[in-house]
Amino acid sequence: MNRTAWKLTETQMREWLQGLVDAGSSVVAPVEEDGLTLFSPIAAAQPAHLEASGKTQWSPKEFLFPRSEALYRYSLKGDTVEIRDPEVAETQQVLFGIRCCDAAGLMRLDEIFLSGTKDPLYAARRAATTVVTAACAAADAECFCTAVGGSPVATEGSDAQLVPLADGWMLRVLTDKGEALVGEASGSWTEAAPDDIARIDGLEKIVTEQITRNPIQREWSRVLEEGFENASWDQLAQHCLGCSICAYVCPSCSCFDMNHEADAWCGEQCRSWDACTFGLFTHHASGHNPRSTRQQRYRQRVLHKFSFAGEGEDHFRCVGCGRCIALCPAGLDIGEIVTAAATAIQEEGADAAR
Amino acid sequence: MQLAEISPNPYHPNLMRIAGFADETRDVRTLKLQFIDAAEASEFGGWQPGQFGQFTVFGAGESVFAIANKPWHPNGSGEPPTIECTFRAIGKVTTALRAMSEGQTIGFRGPYGNHFPLDDWKGKSLVFIGGGIGMAALRSAMLAAIDRKTEFGDIVILNGARTVADMVYKDEMPSWQEVEGVRVVRTVDPGGEGEGWDGEVGLLPNVFEQLALDPANRIVIACGPPVMLHYLFLSLGKTGYQPDQVVTTLENKMKCGIGHCGRCYVGPFSVCKDGPVVTWAELNELPKDY
Repeated sequence: MNRTAWKLTETQMREWLQGLVDAGSSVVAPVEEDGLTLFSPIAAAQPAHLEASGKTQWSPKEFLFPRSEALYRYSLKGDTVEIRDPEVAETQQVLFGIRCCDAAGLMRLDEIFLSGTKDPLYAARRAATTVVTAACAAADAECFCTAVGGSPVATEGSDAQLVPLADGWMLRVLTDKGEALVGEASGSWTEAAPDDIARIDGLEKIVTEQITRNPIQREWSRVLEEGFENASWDQLAQHCLGCSICAYVCPSCSCFDMNHEADAWCGEQCRSWDACTFGLFTHHASGHNPRSTRQQRYRQRVLHKFSFAGEGEDHFRCVGCGRCIALCPAGLDIGEIVTAAATAIQEEGADAAR
Repeated sequence: MQLAEISPNPYHPNLMRIAGFADETRDVRTLKLQFIDAAEASEFGGWQPGQFGQFTVFGAGESVFAIANKPWHPNGSGEPPTIECTFRAIGKVTTALRAMSEGQTIGFRGPYGNHFPLDDWKGKSLVFIGGGIGMAALRSAMLAAIDRKTEFGDIVILNGARTVADMVYKDEMPSWQEVEGVRVVRTVDPGGEGEGWDGEVGLLPNVFEQLALDPANRIVIACGPPVMLHYLFLSLGKTGYQPDQVVTTLENKMKCGIGHCGRCYVGPFSVCKDGPVVTWAELNELPKDY
């Protein structure tokens, strides 16, 4: 189906956004807070920090997969237990101005939480969420979406997409949800001209040229899996501190922990973000730990992003946002490490064949 | 809106009453659990041998145990099942569980995972090899196989423990042997024997080799600590077993039970969803990360 593309001035875009806030949706957009750009629910269109480039410190995943939440609550009454399932918010949610890499990250979360036994809390939030991405007009230093099969103007996971133009915005409507979000607002808008639409390709080219990281080759998935025990991992991952900031800021990391938070009478089964780079992640009660070293744990993180694909998945789980590179206190660069590991494994294979 | 109005909550445990227990060793206990809520009991679909559950101590958290008694399926009689699990008090949840008494309430959700393919083993001889608490993961399949003995060749059960005091299912082993063609071999690690011990003394892989069973038309079902499995696989290779004749069950740390939380992943394999039951052949395809 051919969807409409609209041309909006900055004012028209802000008015539309204000309309979404006024309509009672929970609108989440980038805002500036203490010198950081972060996603936050906004009460008015004005604070939304919608720029042609730059991204938030954290991904927007917490609005679908919160940092912590109760899976059920319970109270003890004598010898019986009363269990209450959580409430589900009925408010519609709009993720406004997230980057294309973050939208791709949400698709990776879908593959985990909506496959097999669906996660009902995630599914309910996802169904009530509309995604409006903002295409990038410039790349950050750490960006590498194009190296992992993405694009600064990719539409995967977007219901509508804002494309920055020199004189305002183009709004590409991509799904029924996107259509519904535009609704009556388009009355005063003009349709984008073919010339404007053609500018998307130009934008993609400009941004792609700014991304200096080398492409991650698709066939490295197999190389990395086969070279699981390659000695280069010890050296490549030796600087990892195990702090796991990479997993926390990652738009596609989905591992979690479950614990009872309780007093003597009542409590909750609490789910919270966790990371495979933590030492206790796979630690058995017996003391056995399949991944007892930081190197083994870092390798797991890299291979889960680039190698261990689920059935029918033909893409990397890394979306190339670069946040883990920007924030790693040890300066580890996942793109460089994948390249180095794949190269080392291939060289070892070539040596063995000689 | 209540979540239950939209979709079932996979994390909502069934409430179970501790109907009884048996102390296997100083720190290993087998619980018998019964559904408290009749509606939850009537919705329960039963389990296959080798599947596991998440057991909740309210206030402490959840622990994964294999369902240790014979497989059960709704049979129209309306008779609710008793679920058994054997656990070792070793961590926070299991220590709290050990402190509970008959009549108290815990949670159960499951069953999860794949199961031992008993039907595929028809006509074959079976060897069950359990190291310590590993026996618990085999018990459901073993009891089912003993029950259906006419469908199989001879059945050998090798129950190994560090010491005599650490041996699980001591009291019930004699009853397993009552069925013709079932042989139970008990062994303890060297130094663990003690006075009056009439079983074998030796590490499980060695004792298995000494049994000198014919590998032809035989399935080996093994569960135990990683180090035992490592040496057992070496023995199996030496004595002529093919990797697809050997079945084990991976006991990784798990939290969610439905393949989401990421904890039990071995490469692309999710132990809770794709496992826990794997053949040695399948294990050879996975990265050594378990």
